[in-house]
Amino acid sequence: MNRVLLPKNLPELWSFLENEPEARVYAGGTDLLVQMRARCADNLVLICLERIAELTGIREDEDGFWIGACTTFRHLLNHPRIREQIPVLAKALSTLGSPPIRNMATIGGNICTASPAGDTLPPLYVLDADLILSTQSGERVVPLSGFITAPGKTQLERGEVLTQIRIKKPEGYRVQHFEKVGQRKALACAIASMAALVKTSPAGVIESARIAWGSVGPTVVVSPDAEAALTGKTLSPAVLEAAADLAGKAMAPIDDIRATAVYRRRVAANLLLRIGT
Amino acid sequence: MKSFIPEIGCSIPRADGEAKVSGEEKYATDHYGDGLLWAGVRRAGIPHGRIRGLDAGQAKNLPGVIAILTGRDVPGTNRQGIVHKDQPVLCTDKIRHCGDPVALVLAEDRTVLAQALALITVDIEPLPGIFSIDDALRPDAPLVHEEHSGSNVLLAATVDKGNAEEAFSECDVILEETFTVPSVAHAFLETENGIAWQEPDGKIVLVVSTQAPFRDRFEISHALGIPMDRLRIIGPYLGGGFGGKDGATVQCLLVLAAIHAGGRRVKMWWSREESMAAGFKRHAVRMEYRLGAGSDGTLHALKCRLYYDTGAYAHLGGEVMALGMEHASGPYRIPHTLIEGWCVYTNNPVAGAMRGFGVAQVSFAFEGMMDRLAEKLRMDPLDLRMKNALQRGDKNGAGVTMTHSTGIVSCLEAVGSHPLWKGKEQWMAEAPPFKKRGVGVAAVFNAMGYGRGLPDSAIAKVELTAEGKIRVYCGVSDMGQGNATAFFQIAGGVLGQENDAIELVQPDTARTLPSGSASAGRTTYTYGNALIQAAEELRRRIIGRAALMILADTVDELELLPGRVKHLKSGREIPLNILASVMPPEDRICISQFIMPVARDGLETGKAFFIGFPHLLFSYAAHLAAVEMDELTGTLEVKAYLAATDAGRVLNPQSYEQQVHGAIAQGIGYALCEEIKLEEGRILTPDLATFIIPGAMDIPDMMSISVETCETSGPYGMKGAGEVGINGPLPAIAGALAQACGIRVKTAPLTAERILEAMVEQQTACERKPS
Ligand SMILES: Cc1cc2nc3c(=O)[nH]c(=O)nc-3n(C[C@H](O)[C@H](O)[C@H](O)COP(=O)(O)OP(=O)(O)OC[C@H]3O[C@@H](n4cnc5c(N)ncnc54)[C@H](O)[C@@H]3O)c2cc1C
Repeated sequence: MNRVLLPKNLPELWSFLENEPEARVYAGGTDLLVQMRARCADNLVLICLERIAELTGIREDEDGFWIGACTTFRHLLNHPRIREQIPVLAKALSTLGSPPIRNMATIGGNICTASPAGDTLPPLYVLDADLILSTQSGERVVPLSGFITAPGKTQLERGEVLTQIRIKKPEGYRVQHFEKVGQRKALACAIASMAALVKTSPAGVIESARIAWGSVGPTVVVSPDAEAALTGKTLSPAVLEAAADLAGKAMAPIDDIRATAVYRRRVAANLLLRIGT
Repeated sequence: MKSFIPEIGCSIPRADGEAKVSGEEKYATDHYGDGLLWAGVRRAGIPHGRIRGLDAGQAKNLPGVIAILTGRDVPGTNRQGIVHKDQPVLCTDKIRHCGDPVALVLAEDRTVLAQALALITVDIEPLPGIFSIDDALRPDAPLVHEEHSGSNVLLAATVDKGNAEEAFSECDVILEETFTVPSVAHAFLETENGIAWQEPDGKIVLVVSTQAPFRDRFEISHALGIPMDRLRIIGPYLGGGFGGKDGATVQCLLVLAAIHAGGRRVKMWWSREESMAAGFKRHAVRMEYRLGAGSDGTLHALKCRLYYDTGAYAHLGGEVMALGMEHASGPYRIPHTLIEGWCVYTNNPVAGAMRGFGVAQVSFAFEGMMDRLAEKLRMDPLDLRMKNALQRGDKNGAGVTMTHSTGIVSCLEAVGSHPLWKGKEQWMAEAPPFKKRGVGVAAVFNAMGYGRGLPDSAIAKVELTAEGKIRVYCGVSDMGQGNATAFFQIAGGVLGQENDAIELVQPDTARTLPSGSASAGRTTYTYGNALIQAAEELRRRIIGRAALMILADTVDELELLPGRVKHLKSGREIPLNILASVMPPEDRICISQFIMPVARDGLETGKAFFIGFPHLLFSYAAHLAAVEMDELTGTLEVKAYLAATDAGRVLNPQSYEQQVHGAIAQGIGYALCEEIKLEEGRILTPDLATFIIPGAMDIPDMMSISVETCETSGPYGMKGAGEVGINGPLPAIAGALAQACGIRVKTAPLTAERILEAMVEQQTACERKPS
């Protein structure tokens, strides 16, 4: 039998964590419970974060959003300002899992699971998201780009909890694109995914491009070379193809049951061509 | 709900709908009970080997473990199998696939059960394994079954007519291609399960999710040495079957467990992973085709070699292959055919029955050949099919004369005149950037019934109850396909009673009568025919007995109306409950048997088949798939789908459409994504996160047209509608893909990866070609 603790606020969470240092925290449980079933895990202490009011909700300020780590995807998708201001994230969320999963699963869970296929990660990378990691004694801010160190591995320290995600509004990025390739349209783990933010001048010259790929490396893959190759050019097929070639070089995909590395690399690079349409 | 008389031809609500939606209807999984025990199986986990020893000592000592049984505790022959008895209930010496059972555990609850299963250690000496058709056929191949005729060939057979070898020299065009299709799982919602117990008098009751309760009784009796009259099998509605519950799954294990449970109820319920590992699968098949035709597209000669991987045990492997061979030449007139088949044992999971039984596989090949021929001859693919389509009086590829309804031409005409076909050029031209569009067609068919060698029989029983209601004792399972609703309509229609006065009893060997399996598109056909006879007899009886009470000198003036018999001349009425009260029980029950007609041609071919060859009756369909392929990803999306089906007259348009839609959706899964991936006999796709079935978003709007022929031998002119629809999507979609981008994929499923790879190959080939 597993024991589940249900703190109602942060002070209660800290005291539970102090008394049960071995406890695992979870939010929606859509990753943790699946892993526990596979491992027949028993006699664990679990701390459920979903009732902690401080950890859910979306707050908008002048230059961005503060998102509680335990905010569900449904909640995020229902938020008109998120859909309007950061469609690159909303598009990713709408392909994630299925309606029941989106009702349960949280953005913090997706980040902390640190799966190479986590669908929020490429958009959060191109958005330069920051994470607020908290303990009883204080908090620190780390950029998402350094947070995930390997599949399933993060910089979270013992007793530390992800509390907030900070996203700045991508001002001027008219192209906000996300695409995922899976084995079916919904309930599909990404074989490859790509998030892109592109800012162009009135004349159509690319001023800045931020691109990140999922499922083609141990963590999210970015390609400064590809981004540089786009900057100063227009979104023409030839330019995109040249950048896609460079991007392919940055990827280190694996073969698994869903796809081969060859396909992953090929398709991930190809996805870049779509932003020209 | 308002009362109504369930009549033939109407979309009455499903007879089981309300009870299922409210949760009142109990599936096998819903049966529990006081003092329930749980049973589970320790599986080998090794594809081929010899058991050296088994240590259950630690598991036995676990508190809450009731019994641990091995092959030595099996009282009978310890062999199950529908045609070939080659599958042990519990293995004693040899392991033939990873899912083979080596020990059966009974425990107080599921937690103890899982712990005990994990504590059992089995010492298996691994043997070199057979993991592919070619491995199996090597002359020096190790044998999966040493006792089987010195080879891994379960069955080798030939179906031929004319002289194919010579006829190829008379052909203007000859095309060759090899196709492969993988093994797939049924993925029914309700995994294999049941509950069993021993009554104080020693009899054993088994409630089980099964498509064949009467055959189960026979199998259990044989394997465990229990007389049939000591066994009672109850088969409630199933949460899906698709062929995967046609044959013993939990049956023998549960009855064995019940014998050791001291009268307590024992439940076994496979997890999804166990269902994948131990449940039956669709056969993986390799199909080598050679097709010859005249320059005008007239088919002349076909030669093919089919290789079916039946896995570790025969199950229905030979019969699945027989049906595949019988359909290998498509619904076409081909004067010369030579179809050879080999069904081989391997150390892969056990393959068996699945919707489209051997036919879904060959449909990919024969329709693939038709598309290639149309391309070669620059003919319209629909015209080519129409030109060669079977008509009544023709002989099919196996040499059987089509003496019954044969509606394939009408199906093709319905597709040809549909806007999706007529407007296809424009639709294809309007493809968005990076997309290519194509429209494909497929002509398919599917035999009904068991075929020669085995009576396709059903025995209907219908009762006027003491309360004056009608009770139908269904001897054949309803796995969701809706046959129970059809029986409801037949009883309602013949006896003119209202819905709440009609009750259905689901299969129960103690109450209903043997009516065969829910399979082979036969369920409504065979039982329905028997039920019409029984219900008509009951109607005559009710009126005849009412005549006695009313003192009518002729039955002509009497009419059976809802709840009563009325003497039309005098207006006098006798309520059915009053009538029933004066009829002795045996007088209130009518029983009637029906046996499906069989093919009468004296064939000199297919002699290797014990049973299941050839067939007389076929349902037909022409399918159209409109697809969009993404050039950047290779992803194939089905945008629209049309099926024109000849399954005779339609008894219930709603049930019919559901069968057509369900078959298309399952067929789209077979076409696009479903595949059991194996590595040395181990399943790499053990769950529904890796074995990919389509979701609602992958299935387009589906249109169903019924091309109603009248099958005069069928109840109200119907034929089976359940299977034929699954044969169309793979070939239609493959054809549409080729239309879209010129790529002809020979290996199913048509995954994005395969398509993109083929596109890259196509491009490199183009670049290399000197201009
Ligand atoms: C059927 C199904 C389909 C899915 N489809 C997708 C998909 O398409 N795309 C995709 O990206 N994912 C998918 N997932 C995975 C999963 O739903 C997501 O990763 C989800 O975001 C996890 O969130 P959660 O709140 O449920 O995480 P949990 O399971 O609650 O937690 C996951 C991990 O994060 C840790 N954790 C959670 N919250 C915190 C926190 N605030 N601070 C510190 N650690 C924390 C937990 O300890 C645990 O290790 C799917 C899962 C299922 C079951």
